Amino acid sequence: MTIANQAAPAVAVVGGGPAGLAAARTAADLGSPVVLIERLGFLGGMPIIENYAAITPHLEPAEVAMGRMITAVESHPLVEVVLDTEVTSCEGEAGAFTLTLEGGAGGSRKISAGAVVVATGFQHFDPGRETQMYGYYEFPDVIALQDLEAMLKDHHVVRPSNGESPARVCFVQCVGSRDRQIGNEYCSKVCCGIASKEAMEVRQMLPDCEVFIFYIDMRMYGYWENQIYWPAQEQHHVQYVKGVISEVLPKGDRLLVRGEDTTMGRPMEVLMDLVVLSVGMEPSPGTRKMASVLGIEQNKYGFVEAVQPPLDTVSTSRVGVFAAGAALGPADLEDSVSTGAAAASRAVALLRSPVGA
Amino acid sequence: MAERPRARGAAVKSEAVAGFDDVTYEEKRKLFEEVRSDLRFPDYLYGCYECGICVAVCPSARFYDFSPRRIAQAAARQDVELIYQQMQEDIWECSQCFSCLRCPRGNNPGGIVTIMREVAVNHGLASAKEALEGYSRIIYKIMSTGTQVSPDMLQPDAFPDWGPEVADVSNQLALWRRALPPETLHTTSTGWDVSDRTLIELYLIWLETGALDMIRDVDEGLHMILEEVMEERLEEEGIER
Repeated sequence: MTIANQAAPAVAVVGGGPAGLAAARTAADLGSPVVLIERLGFLGGMPIIENYAAITPHLEPAEVAMGRMITAVESHPLVEVVLDTEVTSCEGEAGAFTLTLEGGAGGSRKISAGAVVVATGFQHFDPGRETQMYGYYEFPDVIALQDLEAMLKDHHVVRPSNGESPARVCFVQCVGSRDRQIGNEYCSKVCCGIASKEAMEVRQMLPDCEVFIFYIDMRMYGYWENQIYWPAQEQHHVQYVKGVISEVLPKGDRLLVRGEDTTMGRPMEVLMDLVVLSVGMEPSPGTRKMASVLGIEQNKYGFVEAVQPPLDTVSTSRVGVFAAGAALGPADLEDSVSTGAAAASRAVALLRSPVGA
Repeated sequence: MAERPRARGAAVKSEAVAGFDDVTYEEKRKLFEEVRSDLRFPDYLYGCYECGICVAVCPSARFYDFSPRRIAQAAARQDVELIYQQMQEDIWECSQCFSCLRCPRGNNPGGIVTIMREVAVNHGLASAKEALEGYSRIIYKIMSTGTQVSPDMLQPDAFPDWGPEVADVSNQLALWRRALPPETLHTTSTGWDVSDRTLIELYLIWLETGALDMIRDVDEGLHMILEEVMEERLEEEGIER
């Protein structure tokens, strides 16, 4: 079925991750036809692309949780899913946009849409850009959060250098976040919770493995405090040490991490088997590209700017174009699906409003 | 136990910890295991986010280089070396007032100190001997007669850390008590008698609970005298242990 050719104007949703899926589902449930456009050949976004194991904080497998969202969208009679396809232009105005789609089986084609929801998400910060010396591309046993997610998903956490179980693992927080030198001054919001969740999973999988988290501030807002932070300390004995790691050095076949234990007031050098960099969020290439294609304002970090903050979280600088999820800035899954649904409702409301925008 | 994050300096074995002879890592680990396996320990330590409220309310922290936060953190991190150092030093700077119970996580750093002190005393750590040195007369008094220190026993210059007012209080005790009535009017001449039955019961408690044994390693001579006094008395009463 080609939804975009129906009489009622469609909502075009760009991006098939958690925010885009929530937007597509919401708009369709409200009775609006939806075209969901995804660059890759499958839906699910980052949780699927990057092999997330379990979703924070309730630890449901990512494939199961995302699978539910995907099925709901794919089976919805009002949703047309277009895979392997990118949006390359957007002409017209609210109520009557014409989008050019490239890729997929159909080559290039144009569709009409009344409103657009951009949900193109984030990418993990590339630790090769860090100002500290962590050696992500130098030492195989220095990995990032998503690398450990993939190992947790396989139920096989090992040191990549030798395939052995690690006896000591540490997480280094705020890699690529809260850093003026790098240009990412913002907090990426989720890394504290994700690192703590992974730390608990490692402790459960390898009970003899000691796990440390080196941090600047632990930011476990709301229920994450008692759902993640306290259990990690109290039940799983994850060791939290306040202090940034300045560098990772090779020592024998292990890694020496150097920093300050600030609350104990002393410098420290500790040997680790596996160092996990808690990388933050940056706008995905798709978010940067779509901002340009759609002609919507970006903030200095490249995320889509919500132009009427703080009480309107989804309106962009172009009427009829709404943004959702981590395209707007660092967001957890709850934020992403919430703004996805909010953007979809606003889009549908706009199309039905007798006075237009 | 694997090594822990700690200072570069502390990783080098020093010959002395807090001025006392150092011991092997194994010995330190054993002491820590004894602290950690204490029945009370899980109720005294949940997790620490290092907020410092325990230090803010701690009277000892104002006068000594003492931090209840460091006590909780060292225990949480199972930092065997640091815990040993604390057992040789820091724990005797705690006044056991338990102001630190206001911890938002429900920790009890003062309680951890209590356990650490008991382990230090049980093992006759040098710091415990030194800390209890000035108290042998009091221990002897309490354990042999069942009576405690009473305010009129205070020598004006015996407890300088109680402050200069103690001399004035001692000299004007009756006046002070009229001004600030205490729960009991305990002095050497009032509330001082201990009945035979109570004393026998106390002796049995000291002996059976191991309270007397606790001081064996701290003050051998005192332990010997007390044990003799108690056993002689129990023998007179025809009580066999």
